[in-house]
Amino acid sequence: MPKVFFATDLHGSEVCWKKFLNAAKFYDADVLICGGDMTGKAIVPIVSENGHYTVTLGGESQTVPAEQVVEVENNIRRRGYYPLQMSVERVHELDTDPAKRAACFQEVMLDGVDRWMKMAADKLRGTGVRIFVSPGNDDEMEVDDVIRRAEVVELGEGRVMEFDGFVMISTGWSNPTPWKTHREESEEQLAGRIDAMASQVPDTSRAIFNLHCPPFKSGLDEAPAIDADLRLLHGGRALRPVGSTAVREVIEKRQPLLSLHGHIHESKGAVKIGKTLSINPGSAYEEGMLMGAIIQLDPKKGIKSYQLVNG
Amino acid sequence: MADTTMGTAAARPALFLRNATGLVKAWSTFDAFVYSFWSVNLITLGLYGMSFVYTVPDGQALAAILVFGVLTTFLVITYAMLVSVMPRTGGDYAWQSRVLGGSLGFVLSITGWWFTLFLWAPIYANILVVQFFSPLAYTLGSSGVATWFASSNGIFVSCLIVLAFVSVVVTMGMETYARIQKVCFWIGLVGLAVVIVLLLVNDQSSFQSAFNRESSSLFGTSGNAYQATIDTATKGGFGGSSFGTFAIGPMLLLLPWLAFYLLWPNWGATLYGEVRGAKDIRKPFWSMFWGLWVTVALVAVVVLLMVRTFGWNFYQAANSLYWGSLFGGPAPVIPTWPYPVMFAGWLVNSHLFQAVLIIVMGLWFFGWAGTLFLSSTRVIFAAAFDRVLPAWAANISAKRRVPYGSLVLMIVPSIVVSAIYAYKPTFTSVFLDATAVLALTFFATCVAAIILPWRRKDLYDASPIAQYKLGGLPAISIVGAISGIFLLFMLYEWFFNSSNLYGTSFQATTNSVIYFAATYVVAIAIYVAARVVRGRQGIDLRRIHHEIPVE
Repeated sequence: MPKVFFATDLHGSEVCWKKFLNAAKFYDADVLICGGDMTGKAIVPIVSENGHYTVTLGGESQTVPAEQVVEVENNIRRRGYYPLQMSVERVHELDTDPAKRAACFQEVMLDGVDRWMKMAADKLRGTGVRIFVSPGNDDEMEVDDVIRRAEVVELGEGRVMEFDGFVMISTGWSNPTPWKTHREESEEQLAGRIDAMASQVPDTSRAIFNLHCPPFKSGLDEAPAIDADLRLLHGGRALRPVGSTAVREVIEKRQPLLSLHGHIHESKGAVKIGKTLSINPGSAYEEGMLMGAIIQLDPKKGIKSYQLVNG
Repeated sequence: MADTTMGTAAARPALFLRNATGLVKAWSTFDAFVYSFWSVNLITLGLYGMSFVYTVPDGQALAAILVFGVLTTFLVITYAMLVSVMPRTGGDYAWQSRVLGGSLGFVLSITGWWFTLFLWAPIYANILVVQFFSPLAYTLGSSGVATWFASSNGIFVSCLIVLAFVSVVVTMGMETYARIQKVCFWIGLVGLAVVIVLLLVNDQSSFQSAFNRESSSLFGTSGNAYQATIDTATKGGFGGSSFGTFAIGPMLLLLPWLAFYLLWPNWGATLYGEVRGAKDIRKPFWSMFWGLWVTVALVAVVVLLMVRTFGWNFYQAANSLYWGSLFGGPAPVIPTWPYPVMFAGWLVNSHLFQAVLIIVMGLWFFGWAGTLFLSSTRVIFAAAFDRVLPAWAANISAKRRVPYGSLVLMIVPSIVVSAIYAYKPTFTSVFLDATAVLALTFFATCVAAIILPWRRKDLYDASPIAQYKLGGLPAISIVGAISGIFLLFMLYEWFFNSSNLYGTSFQATTNSVIYFAATYVVAIAIYVAARVVRGRQGIDLRRIHHEIPVE
């Protein structure tokens, strides 16, 4: 009876990634699934100046000696940001040149993912635990290549994979968002992408659909309403469903045993769509807390139990 | 796709951002202020709560209001800090569960945010009757309708109207209701401005004439109804009240009464988990702070104007007479709750104007009452996601996104409780405890805040508030302790006041003790049952909040 631990939207939080790897032992899980959006959203420059280092985090500036830089870097990583030591000149260069900034982002993100893959190998090599990662819409395409090269982590994106008699399909692509991120496409294209994998699943009653984007109007897709200027409306209390109609339709049509989602951090929950149990464990990566779902699969019952946890 | 930079006050950027989902601009503090402002509703809860001040004749109301504002500011800081550390849906439930433990967190928050909210439905209904249906009916000459609304059937129907209204609001969603709230907010403010101007441009003799005229016109009294109100109240035991009297002890005894409306600027804290950017302490703090202090300032203005134009002694006598009449005292001169808005309207000799003013000020009710169960549904969701409650409690209908599971859990018991309220007057004390039990929930949250830096050092150290220290101690512990002492004082007075001043003292209100003991027993029973049932399903509820080791 495989026990699955699912977490998603770590957004560069190294603390959360370490917890994710340790979740196998902590929850006695056989399979770890990371649902996407692994990479961080921001670089925090640690500026070298006159033998000291200056950094601004959470609106507070501080100047530290060289021996405190590691501590500062860890604090930055904990929040899901990338710390990067640089000179004043380099700061201005990145500030004024979007192309160089983009290249810098890609470099630190891929380095970060590579480091995470090595951590996974160090932690889980030889344990028998299988670990699947499927990049999300916020992750650049090059992330896939880093995961492909990983020793113990298996890339889920676009593939039909099998474990312990269960079949899993995965994609991190989403319907269009206001942010125009890396893996977005129309609902029709998304439906085609998912169908191409779903049609290869022989028995959906033993299938897991690991789809980053949650189904539309499922309660797992309620995001704060924003205006065209990306400003939160009504004090952030007005919520709108922003999930994918394509995801919803494929779940309603194919009725997999389980569907796993993320994307909308605030919309933690577990709902039934027909026979399918759909889960979004939410994300609180900025706090260094790993929100996840433990699902106990059973060859006869399908899902024996599930639990959302705040690790 | 690296697109943007974020600058500091200095020339160079502190942060490079790339384009990523969820990077939004900050929500408007004003929007959040409106929600907080509604929660400490000056008119509905405020005037209703102020009508009990007569029970402490030497209590200086203005000083008490200001002291309450200062002390509640510490509560606001405590909650803003907790939102900043753990900005998650469920508020009190989530914080207490993660700091105090799952079982304690469930029992303390569910009794406050779920069971006690049943009691608020009839309280809301009573406010709707005394501030809207009844004065409007009297003003329009339908005294029969007004009398009916004061009957058991009328009260029960009013409860059903409130529950239906709340259900409609939950069904239509917060986005639509937020728009309605804004309309109500601005029109309601215009109405309040009219009331203030009327009280300002008229003196006490004008009011006495207007009161006598309308008492005769609407209620058939004769002679000097103004003086008769004071005289009748005096015969009923009212000892007179002077606004100028000041003594610390009686002033402090007013605080538990003021809690009825001023204790709730943090009402929306259960929702902040849905708000990105809540980790920025300034946003939740300023929205709650201004919600509290704008109300405090307006209450101060309204109280001073009532003193000037109504006369404090008359106003307190009218309240004493009305509430006393419900418990065997002399019949009031005018058979309706002394609604200051209605009194202000009487300063204009036009029933049409008076009716319009009551309707406009009624928007203070309709812009506020819709959120009655909003926080409760979030707490129920959080408990259901933790598997303590059944999964169906968090179900949402696919078509209209109605959280029907949590609504059923709120509405059905509320109907039963409303029927008890309407048809069993001996249970009145239970309803007077509605504020106290929520305060107990807040107290538990304050305890969680005090010990947070030690119990969840990881979370605290990583939070933006870790930098705030006073005398080497975490600021959240200090403000939490001050808030806790404030709440503890009020809890003591509610539960043990030797004179049963608030109608809630344990020694005098057996029904109240039984009801609330029962709610805690039920909450414990639900948790224990959940532990057993989930345990058989292979789910260990204890591990929900256990942190996974990092290394």
